[in-house]
Amino acid sequence: MCCFISLILYVRSGKTSIQQVLFENLPPKQTFYLETTTRIVKHTYDTVIPLEIWDCPGTITVETLGAPLSQFLTIIFVIDIRDLYNQPISKLVEFIVAAYHENPNVNIEVFVHKAEKLQEDDKIENFRQINERVTDRLLDISPDYEQMPLNFHLTSVYDHTLHEAFSRVLHKLIDSLPFLEDLLNVFCANSQSPKAFLFDIASRLYIATDASPVDSATHNLCCDYLQMLNSFGPLYKSASASSSRHRKLLPPVLSVPSLSDHDQESPGRTTPSAGASNSKQRAKDLFYPSAAALLHPSTPGTTLTYHLIMEHLALLAIMPTPVFESRRGLVEYNVVFFREGVQEIYQVEQEARSGG
Amino acid sequence: MKKKVLLMGASGSGKTSMRSLIFSNNPASMTARLGATIDVEQNHVRFLGDLILNLWDCGGQDAFMDSYLTTQRSTIFQHVGVMIYVFDVETREMNKDLEYYRDCLEGLRQYSPGAAVFLLVHKMDLVRENKPVTFGKKHKELQVASGDADITVFGTSIYDESLYKAWSSIVHTLIPNAAVLSKHLTTFAEVCSASEVILFERTTFLVIATSTSATEDIHKLDGTRYERTSELIKAFKHSCSRVREEFHCLEMELPDFTAVLDEMTRNTYVMVIAHDPSIETGALRLNIRMARRKFEQLQGDGHVL
Ligand SMILES: Nc1nc2c(ncn2[C@@H]2O[C@H](COP(=O)(O)OP(=O)(O)O)[C@@H](O)[C@H]2O)c(=O)[nH]1
Ligand SMILES: Nc1nc2c(ncn2[C@@H]2O[C@H](COP(=O)(O)OP(=O)(O)O)[C@@H](O)[C@H]2O)c(=O)[nH]1
Ligand SMILES: [Mg+2]
Ligand SMILES: [Mg+2]
Repeated sequence: MCCFISLILYVRSGKTSIQQVLFENLPPKQTFYLETTTRIVKHTYDTVIPLEIWDCPGTITVETLGAPLSQFLTIIFVIDIRDLYNQPISKLVEFIVAAYHENPNVNIEVFVHKAEKLQEDDKIENFRQINERVTDRLLDISPDYEQMPLNFHLTSVYDHTLHEAFSRVLHKLIDSLPFLEDLLNVFCANSQSPKAFLFDIASRLYIATDASPVDSATHNLCCDYLQMLNSFGPLYKSASASSSRHRKLLPPVLSVPSLSDHDQESPGRTTPSAGASNSKQRAKDLFYPSAAALLHPSTPGTTLTYHLIMEHLALLAIMPTPVFESRRGLVEYNVVFFREGVQEIYQVEQEARSGG
Repeated sequence: MKKKVLLMGASGSGKTSMRSLIFSNNPASMTARLGATIDVEQNHVRFLGDLILNLWDCGGQDAFMDSYLTTQRSTIFQHVGVMIYVFDVETREMNKDLEYYRDCLEGLRQYSPGAAVFLLVHKMDLVRENKPVTFGKKHKELQVASGDADITVFGTSIYDESLYKAWSSIVHTLIPNAAVLSKHLTTFAEVCSASEVILFERTTFLVIATSTSATEDIHKLDGTRYERTSELIKAFKHSCSRVREEFHCLEMELPDFTAVLDEMTRNTYVMVIAHDPSIETGALRLNIRMARRKFEQLQGDGHVL
């Protein structure tokens, strides 16, 4: 089964930009040149859960959607932060009501978008007003709507708010979230790490984090760090690197057949194995990419670590440099423990999905 | 040692933006807020300890240009090490630009005949289609306007790595012992069993020198890797500064290579890249630590480092 997410609402509110920046790595500035969407475009994206994202044209209505609203797990409405007027708000309310009627369990998310266009005070004020007007309008229609699971987010493609908001949207779709969070809590406690994230590598959305509150600055730094590593990856790729380098590489042991195996042609690649116990045994000999960035040399200093966990996922953690430098073995051990836990969860989900 | 660098070009062509990007670690998005430069802004930038760049960011409005070329002529054009002339690729006044440019060349010929000349066709990001063709045309036009003067032309933009490529090349001409450095880096690469070693200036992360190795042909590495690395590290340094942290060192064991980026001397950073899978980051860091004294010594011997 797939998780549908739909991006709906006005012409030029930034829907396609959001999809492209998050999942196609489009530089934010380039969104200026995107063409207007005239029909629904469906994008799939595989991470811990397979996503199907429908990018709808601004003219979409419940009738022209071409699928029952009940099919969607999440609907994201994208509204320009400057659209405080009656009409856009009415359209938003209309759609929310229709969606809720067809599927009371649907997650309704409103991205108040292009937020960076306004100064801090205006931003907060407009956000508050949009939120208030929508809520008031809904309550006018029926007091029942008080229970409606409606979430507002301030977003922009030009900063990290979009990533943070979309991550939160994603979390509601991940059934195994509590287990992943537990594993992260254990990792943090054992590695003296004040914060750790499990990131989807390509989209830089975080799948889960430990129980400590997410501080935006730390989240942004991790996002940027991941972006730098993603960019470094292909930069020093050798045309002739010894195949031994690749042979040690982690094969997508637990990946689903439908996942895109983009580097399948690399010569020394081991074939994915089926048995879980078998793959676990081999996991110890496999090569998992890792990295560390040490910040300010003055004691004690902070280190940002990166460890590949599975094909699409990486663990990013903040830890005191002395822990990383002098207790590396312990950190590595904790990573292996974490990795095995995640792989196990994934395996179970995979079986449930294909079996059920 | 002081080197005078003239930054010329029409007002709005992007001179101050590039200066702030390269030397002040400001992100490209902040340049829109820069005020217009009035007359000449002189800046001294310490580059590699002994080498001080004396940047003359010249306003570029017609009135100033006229006075640079007349009453201020000798002040502006004497003792110039490098002149950088910036052309906005989308300018509608190319002819006027070229006229001023030719006058500047003449001023240089008169007062600093040995100066190197770099021409930047800037804001290349604004060209939507067929960048190489647009650039080729401008290049030819500039060559013709320069007559027999020895010039180097780059297409640049503050939004990608091209600016780092151009500026690395510019500062390279100002470093007297680049060849010596390159030789030492090559030896160091061999000691580390590394495929490549790159030396960066500490604050700008411009490339100062690289190892030259026989294995380069085998690996066929990406041709833009040096300037891309400068850009990536600068961007990350900026991210760190936003949370009041300071970038210090990076180690990577990625699918295709192993690398360490660490301090070399007080004024430089070094990046060591190995493709041999048996090389570990710990070993590379140790090697860098051991090489530090040697490279500090080079500096003591009067080399610029
Ligand atoms: N300032 C700003 N502009 C944005 C943002 N996101 C998208 N845009 C711009 O909004 C315009 C319309 O975007 P598009 O994605 O085509 O909107 P859609 O019609 O909703 O799919 C484009 O020019 C984008 O560059 C944002 O976060 N901030
Ligand atoms: N698109 C684009 N704009 C640029 C670039 N470099 C500078 N600019 C913009 O050009 C404007 C003028 O830049 P400025 O540095 O003040 O020009 P100066 O008068 O030559 O110093 C600013 O709004 C910059 O943001 C570039 O590479 N691309
Ligand atoms: Mg669209
Ligand atoms: Mg200026």
